[in-house]
Amino acid sequence: MARLNDDAQWIILMGFLVSFSFFFLAMVINQSTVVGQTTAESVIEFPKNDIRDVRNVIGEEVNIPYPDNLTVKNDITVLSLNRKGAVVNFPYFTSGNVTYIHIHYNNGVTEYNENWSYL
Amino acid sequence: MTNSDGQLYTIEGFAAGLIMLVTAYLVLNATSVYTAGDTHISDMQLETLGSDALTMMGTNVSGLTMSPLESTLEYVIDTGSYPNATFRTMFLNLTNNRPGSVLDYNKANSTMDYIQFTANYTCRNQDNSTSSYPISWSRNLTGGEHTVRATKWVIVNKKVCGDTIQEDRAVLVEVLLWRD
Repeated sequence: MARLNDDAQWIILMGFLVSFSFFFLAMVINQSTVVGQTTAESVIEFPKNDIRDVRNVIGEEVNIPYPDNLTVKNDITVLSLNRKGAVVNFPYFTSGNVTYIHIHYNNGVTEYNENWSYL
Repeated sequence: MTNSDGQLYTIEGFAAGLIMLVTAYLVLNATSVYTAGDTHISDMQLETLGSDALTMMGTNVSGLTMSPLESTLEYVIDTGSYPNATFRTMFLNLTNNRPGSVLDYNKANSTMDYIQFTANYTCRNQDNSTSSYPISWSRNLTGGEHTVRATKWVIVNKKVCGDTIQEDRAVLVEVLLWRD
């Protein structure tokens, strides 16, 4: 019958330490890909360029004289919904010399509202 | 005569064997989803690049002149001819320019490694449906490409989508970009 040999316990203990550290390193590597993915996904999902672009075209639309502006306004609303899945609405009115515009954008994930006015 | 030496080592061997078998079972049985974080990052960069290129093309030099994107689009709408070479050269220059390389963009089926695109514009019909028409492309889409989309609003003064009179219309320029 082999006897229990309690030599080299330090070496075994160090072996355990090294293997556990490998385990934690593997977990760090595992998480790093997920972190990069979620960051990039949230950047892709956020419609920064869409909102900037639609603000820009609304700024142009406001300066188009009646009745062409109604056609363009309809274009923007319909195309936003059909091609980008975003509800875009921008009622505006003129009171005195000042034109007030309210821009509403909602693509189901991000909602954006803005008020501006100009002389 | 049986020898009872080394029983502890035998048990240890069995335990080690079991651990290895369980490990192999776990590894082979695991469902792996290979989603490299890198693909999303390069998608994000490609989308930003495409948006920037379209923004640059849609910027006019002064309030009196049309932007290159607008004049190209009006030309395509007027003549109905596509693919438009001006759009292709300009867009590929903006997205692929890098020091030390001269790329021949006019080779439609070139095997060179650059960013490919296909562009079209969408307008609203009288019944509030939408129609898309091609502007230009650097290569045909086969369906296997992993594309990202960049868009830009353009206001043109043309008869689009069955207009009876010439008036200001907002159309959406959409570009699909991919690397190959």
